[in-house]
Amino acid sequence: MLKNANKLLIIAFVLLTWCAALPAMAQETEKDPAENTGKSGGDDEVSTVLTINNKDGIFSSTASFSFEIKNTYDTNQEGSISYNITTENGQIVKTLSKPVNLGKKSTSKYDFEVPNLKTGFYKVNMMINVSDYDDTTRRAFGIRPEEIRSQYARPADFDQFWQTAKDELAKVKPNYKITEVPSMNTENRKVYEIEMKSLDNLTIRGYMTVPISKNKNKKFSVLLGLPGYQVKLYPIVGLDPDLVIITLNTRGQGTSRDVIHTERDAFISYRIEDKNKYVMRGVIMDCVRAVDFIYAQPNLRHDQILATGGSMGGYLSLALAGLDHRVTLCSAQNPIMSDIRNLVGTVEWPINDIKKYVLSKPGVTFNQVLNNLDYYDTKNFVTTIKCPTILGLGLLDPYVPPGNGYAVFNSMHGDKHLMVFKNLGHEVSQVYKDYEGRWMRDTFGLF
Amino acid sequence: MTLKNTLSKYLLAGIVIFALATGKSYAGGFPVRPGRISLSPSATYFFANKAWDADSHKGAFANNGKFSSWSYSLYSEVGLSRKFTLSVLAPYVINTFSTDLGTSKSSGFQDLEVGIRYYLANISYKYYFSLQGTAILPMYTNTALGYNQKGAELKLAFAGSGHLFGKNSFFILENGVREYFGYESVFQDRYNATYGLTLDKKFREQISLSVGGFYATSINKDFNVNPSASKNFAFNQVSLSYGHAFAKSLSLFLTGGTFITGRNTGAGSSFSASLNYRIDTK
Repeated sequence: MLKNANKLLIIAFVLLTWCAALPAMAQETEKDPAENTGKSGGDDEVSTVLTINNKDGIFSSTASFSFEIKNTYDTNQEGSISYNITTENGQIVKTLSKPVNLGKKSTSKYDFEVPNLKTGFYKVNMMINVSDYDDTTRRAFGIRPEEIRSQYARPADFDQFWQTAKDELAKVKPNYKITEVPSMNTENRKVYEIEMKSLDNLTIRGYMTVPISKNKNKKFSVLLGLPGYQVKLYPIVGLDPDLVIITLNTRGQGTSRDVIHTERDAFISYRIEDKNKYVMRGVIMDCVRAVDFIYAQPNLRHDQILATGGSMGGYLSLALAGLDHRVTLCSAQNPIMSDIRNLVGTVEWPINDIKKYVLSKPGVTFNQVLNNLDYYDTKNFVTTIKCPTILGLGLLDPYVPPGNGYAVFNSMHGDKHLMVFKNLGHEVSQVYKDYEGRWMRDTFGLF
Repeated sequence: MTLKNTLSKYLLAGIVIFALATGKSYAGGFPVRPGRISLSPSATYFFANKAWDADSHKGAFANNGKFSSWSYSLYSEVGLSRKFTLSVLAPYVINTFSTDLGTSKSSGFQDLEVGIRYYLANISYKYYFSLQGTAILPMYTNTALGYNQKGAELKLAFAGSGHLFGKNSFFILENGVREYFGYESVFQDRYNATYGLTLDKKFREQISLSVGGFYATSINKDFNVNPSASKNFAFNQVSLSYGHAFAKSLSLFLTGGTFITGRNTGAGSSFSASLNYRIDTK
């Protein structure tokens, strides 16, 4: 009798705890409903939501999506809804149009399935044209993206090319300078401006913020933040007691524009006609130099270095992790320059800016530039990454189409994790940031 | 990048203590930072003047009997590496049993427990599984203080953190099986479930509710008023704990608990106060 009572109690306890735990365990989701609204002069409106019916927008063969329309008008809304599905470079794969008659103050939902699609990513343009409202909503989905591979080969001398660059960098004396900036100090952190010489003897600068600790012998894990395109990085402070945070302004950016100071649009093409002088060669070596800097600091843990960044910062994080195995974790969000040859005809930036530059340079051809860019393609760096890496992609990214992002991800051979945001463009959500923080802390043992 | 270390904040100083009459249980489902040393001295008062018999009928002790004990213990954890944590528990107890016929007392060290916890896996770096092996070494010969037998325990824990009602929360589920070796050997199943909430944004105040129990079997089915010496018994208890962090490295836990069901054991209540001090050596 008592045994049974005990068992019942135990079961009740476990259930109670689980019920209590469930909200804590609920997965955070991307809070970005694809909702469009069209309001009249009054409060009436037609609103639509286009939903790709998979959390990550990924299907094995048949794509599924739903279109929900809410009509709060006191009158029927008559017209049509239609969609077209295109490949990433705009080739139409399927179209459909159907008449609709939306009852007054009603909600209607239309489900669509598109079978037998080939491997790749597709864009959906969903149009509505009714009595008082017309609009287009865009979404994207993927079919078996794990099968995506770039059809363009890595140059045979890729590793040698970058070894030469690193050898050249090694010959440049770094002359590190660390200067405290008391005006930027916070209650729990000291802020330093850091300066060092990098490839071609250029001076690059950044910031280092160090937690104030009673333990004078404490060695800090390091977060190396790399910059987005033409973004000036400032010191990152905050309350974290465990991390030294270094933000680097690579050449031509932020506080490192002494020698290279192009117009914003021109930076991506700076000396692109010569693969040995292209600005990114120096930029990537600046990142390697930043790791040299970390290694020169006795208060920093040399075995706990996270390289992270978004957009160009994501590109640099992956390039750095591929070239310099002293990096122990890599986090890249929306990395540009991904599968570059496949960007042609798919994206406007950076291809149009590069083409514009080529046109201004007699004797330089776009093909020649593409050949040079093979040495700067994200997918070609990642094959040699050895550290755990996370990658964030937005399915609506206009600069990093998801097919290109997957070509990069599928080229990685090590411990890797991909986070896909089906309703986002050139960004990731807080979900990624939270995961990145937990992942880093766990890997570094900063429980 | 979210840089805050929420995990350790949820737990104030990282350890949740459940005062049980037959020894303390230290919930440790979460991994421990390498180089971190936690020290937890605690004092527990346990009192019982009623008991459940072998058929779970509750009644007063014969001859107006009252059992009470003061238990003092030192618990320590050391993060050896990202995966391994060393734990040590050293308890000292003073037992008093008085009836109309007289009073008997016993006091001394009890079982030293030395354990190694292994961080098995996680789910999205939010929910953690761990496995702990513990060696039990008696530091006494007086069987009023315990079984005076060596033992071993294997414990599986699942712990996680999240949000509920706008508050940061955590949970820990544990189950350990323990065997004492030798004459009239005892097998025990010790289980516990805890749910806790952090009450303020600065992570200084915390409450938690725990439900747990023991299930012990042995060929010796004799009743013993002293739960530490009883061999064949079962009970469930609920306990409520309040934690306050004076600083990042120093916390106080106050815990009250009472037995709610039982078999062949005293029906008691306990109150415990525990300090937790931690230092990071790396």
